[in-house]
Amino acid sequence: MSFFTRKLNGKLNKNLNSNPMNNTATLLPVNTFVLARKNAWLLWLCQCLNIATIALELGTWMLAIITLSLTWQAFLLHRSFERPNSKKLAERRTKHAKNKQNGPVSPFVLATFAIAGCLTIVITAPQHGLLISMVHLLCFSYVLKAFELKARSDFYQLILLGIFVLASALIFKQDLAFSAMVVSLLLLNFVVLLQYFSSNNVFFANLKIIGILMTQSVLLAVVLFIVFPRLSPFWQIPIAKSAETGLSDTVKPGDIAKLTRSSKLAFRVSFEQQSPPVYSQLYWRAMVLEDYDGRQWTKRFKRDNNKPSQLYIEANKAGVKPITYQVLAEPSFQKYLFALAPANLSEAFNGSIIPQSDYTFLSSSVISQTKAYHLTSYLGAPIGVTLDDDSKALNLAYPKNSNPRLEQLALQLSHNYSEPLQRAQAVLNLINEENYAYTLEPPLLKNNSLDQFFFDTQSGFCVHYASAFTFLMRASGIPARMVTGYLGGEYNEKSATDNNKAQGHLSIYQYDAHAWSEIWIQGKGWLRIDPTSAVDPERVNSGWSDDLLQQQSALINELFSRSLFKNSDFLNALRLQFDALDYQWTKWVVGFSTKQQYDLLTAWFGNVKSWKVALIIVITLIISMTAVLFIFNWLNRADKKQHRQNLADKIYAKALLTLAGLGIDKPPAMTVNDFAKQIREKQPMLAISFTRLSNSYSNLCYQNVSEEDKALLTITMQQQYQQFVKNIKSHK
Amino acid sequence: MPHTSPLSDQVQASQATISEILQKIESVVLGKPKECRLALACLLAQGHLLIEDLPGMGKTTLAHVLATTLGLSYQRTQFTNDLLPADVVGFSIFNNQANTFELHKGPIFNQVVLADEINRASPKTQSALLEAMAEHQVSIDGVTHELPTPFFVIATQNPLFHAGTYPLPESQLDRFMMRLSLGFPDIKAEKNILLNDAQRTNQTNKGNTFDPVVDQQTLITMQAAVTQISVSNDVIDYILALSHMSRQNYIADDAKLGTRHNISEDIVCKPLSPRASKSLLQAAKAMAFINNRDYVLPDDVQAVFYVVCQHRLEVQPSQNISLSQLEASSVANQILNSVDVLNPLSYQ
Repeated sequence: MSFFTRKLNGKLNKNLNSNPMNNTATLLPVNTFVLARKNAWLLWLCQCLNIATIALELGTWMLAIITLSLTWQAFLLHRSFERPNSKKLAERRTKHAKNKQNGPVSPFVLATFAIAGCLTIVITAPQHGLLISMVHLLCFSYVLKAFELKARSDFYQLILLGIFVLASALIFKQDLAFSAMVVSLLLLNFVVLLQYFSSNNVFFANLKIIGILMTQSVLLAVVLFIVFPRLSPFWQIPIAKSAETGLSDTVKPGDIAKLTRSSKLAFRVSFEQQSPPVYSQLYWRAMVLEDYDGRQWTKRFKRDNNKPSQLYIEANKAGVKPITYQVLAEPSFQKYLFALAPANLSEAFNGSIIPQSDYTFLSSSVISQTKAYHLTSYLGAPIGVTLDDDSKALNLAYPKNSNPRLEQLALQLSHNYSEPLQRAQAVLNLINEENYAYTLEPPLLKNNSLDQFFFDTQSGFCVHYASAFTFLMRASGIPARMVTGYLGGEYNEKSATDNNKAQGHLSIYQYDAHAWSEIWIQGKGWLRIDPTSAVDPERVNSGWSDDLLQQQSALINELFSRSLFKNSDFLNALRLQFDALDYQWTKWVVGFSTKQQYDLLTAWFGNVKSWKVALIIVITLIISMTAVLFIFNWLNRADKKQHRQNLADKIYAKALLTLAGLGIDKPPAMTVNDFAKQIREKQPMLAISFTRLSNSYSNLCYQNVSEEDKALLTITMQQQYQQFVKNIKSHK
Repeated sequence: MPHTSPLSDQVQASQATISEILQKIESVVLGKPKECRLALACLLAQGHLLIEDLPGMGKTTLAHVLATTLGLSYQRTQFTNDLLPADVVGFSIFNNQANTFELHKGPIFNQVVLADEINRASPKTQSALLEAMAEHQVSIDGVTHELPTPFFVIATQNPLFHAGTYPLPESQLDRFMMRLSLGFPDIKAEKNILLNDAQRTNQTNKGNTFDPVVDQQTLITMQAAVTQISVSNDVIDYILALSHMSRQNYIADDAKLGTRHNISEDIVCKPLSPRASKSLLQAAKAMAFINNRDYVLPDDVQAVFYVVCQHRLEVQPSQNISLSQLEASSVANQILNSVDVLNPLSYQ
């Protein structure tokens, strides 16, 4: 604040003196807006970076248009700042000036450009959805606005648009690293703004000022973040029609292998009371796929009448130790959630999460931001002990003659092994003993033929094995189904608090995606069988083998591949530390929901009615704002003194301006009293009022008076100024 | 503005005395009220005074009346080119009977030393005054002797282009708080001088000298009051801006002053020392005191700026033209005119 008042003050003084040595920018007519060369390029750089944060979400066409206009802008900047070091250039410039007098950009070209951009937005709108179209519009106007920086207000608008672009980038991504980047870019945007006003043109000095201001505002932001009511229509992040990530509700052989190239975070789990179960128990079920059409497995969306009753699980969990945990699901823009089956949902999430009859959980809305939920699992408890006829028929169905050789094998198996479990074990033995290979690069199969995989190529990924196994089971008369989800996870104890060692968290990445099968056996319910364990036991027991990691790093060409991390303890420790930080960020900042806010406030103020909570929030807000106000007031005591002085300065300066309007100028070197004397001689009718004003001002400036008297004097001065103005008006 | 403090009471109380002193001085030095006030201000600010003018302009009269009205012991020393330092300071002489060295104190052991035509003495003798003026003490044969309090040197000098003059060393010029120039009196004043002179000759014959208006103690109290006059930040800034302006040619990157004010480049001046700034402040305080205020206004600074700073600034010996003409063209006034009173340090 003091900065602005000082600025204003400086301006007044400049007006008073009208010294030609003044800053040239302010001497130009009001309507011409000129940025210094350095600042213009800084603004351009800032624009590029702002757009870069959101570039991944933009459509190809829009991105092309934006790149084009930014390049054009750079070209214009370069041309307008080039030095006339040769005659040729000077000639060209005069020619140019003659040709175009409207400014550097021809309005015609600009209009064509605008129309092209708008058309692109309109045409691609159905494909991208409302949110992305609006983001397109925002970015496009942001880039286009830079061509018409004619007045200072245009500059303000441009900076504001840039901040909007940054804010909208946060819709799509909210992890710690990205948020930190956005904040630092915000800093840059503000510095660009300050560069224009600041008297010193030093970038780092201004960066420091902005840094200090932003740090000061953090306190307020934190208070508001915690107590400000999250009113749902305003606090929801708009749902983007963004690319879905993760599993899909259809799976064919070869699908999940592609997913394993991504090291994107899928979800995180923190166990509340105990350390996590062993790796081979961590089968995070996401979807159960029951429809098989000979090529791919599809999730059946049927009307779910028979939900698994909580009581039913209760009855079957005897002797099983419950495990409670919290899941923080990253935005996948899908609905499925993750659980270790069988699981009970914490009651708080009734409504927002729907348990399914196949012991999976669906979110009631698309997961567009981090979603947190609590579960209690009973590992080892049987699921689905009874199976109705419809389901049985569905889980035995397969298109006849789709894979004749497998059918043949199934027939043979059912002949040799009467017991279903023996039959399953026989298949696993077969896979184990024969020369099957587990690979991220499975050979392509013609028509997704399982026959071809099982008998010819004999190398594949989890889906291949799970598909073939499930098919064999169905063909041999055992109800079987395909389950997709994630296996394992990386345990990170760096997030653990000191007093509770168990409170680390598991991070599950996309490359942990997995598929397995479940067979139904009378009296035992659905049993999980993972054929992958037969071909690559390490994958199931402890995670990826070195071979797989090398395959992966060869496939994805990333700078920091996982095998690199695995081989360097230091890098891995660093990565885990960052992961822990990001986990806390997700848990406490991104995932801070209305419910958490409510819980926090209840923890502070006890269990009260919601209107009371609202009241408490409002009161807290008022109290904290007042406190902040007082603190700042206290910190700015000197500034306040300065402010009073400035007010007096302003009043006197206004009086001087008024007199200058009458043609009476005060020479800068003349003292206040001398000038008053001069007015008495030259303008007797103004003598009394102006002398009073001058005396007050002189006393205020130079006399040794107490702060209270100064405040009084300032008020007196205001009154005297009004009288002075009246006096002038009456004598005109 | 209702405002009373012990200091302001004291200032008020001293007004009667001050106006009495001024009246007395002005009754002797006719037609020069401004110079009289400045001279009094110089003594109240405990500064030494240099009076430069043509012979016969009343320099000695001013010095004389100042010393007597303030009730101070006073001795006049005529400086000539063969004057030796011992003649000013004093010397030790061997007493045959007592078999000891006896100190013969020089004229400097008075409260007011009138160094008449100081620039006719050799630089060596002039320098003898240096220690006395700065430290209020002298050393004779290795023994340091304290000088009486209050202690003033009032020096007079002829303009430098006069025959047989040595320029004062700059170090010594800097030790004079003010340099006054009386200038010719106007016709009316001169007529009064002529008329009064006849009376005065008669009176002097009767042995009538000036009576002191105040005693030493009152003078010391007033001097103490002057040092306590309050100075606002704005005035300090103003003084700083003024002295920085004179240093522009010496501190190449005095970036703090900004580019707003520049005295024109063809003006050559010596830079003002911090001692000069101190003297300026002190003189301004005394001026405020004389003007019945317990705080300093920029007007006070402006009133004393020329006399305090011109002799420290100027490089060429000045042409002896009238004071008002001089002021209009001097370096000091150029500097004064190039600083904005309301916003002295524009870099802030």
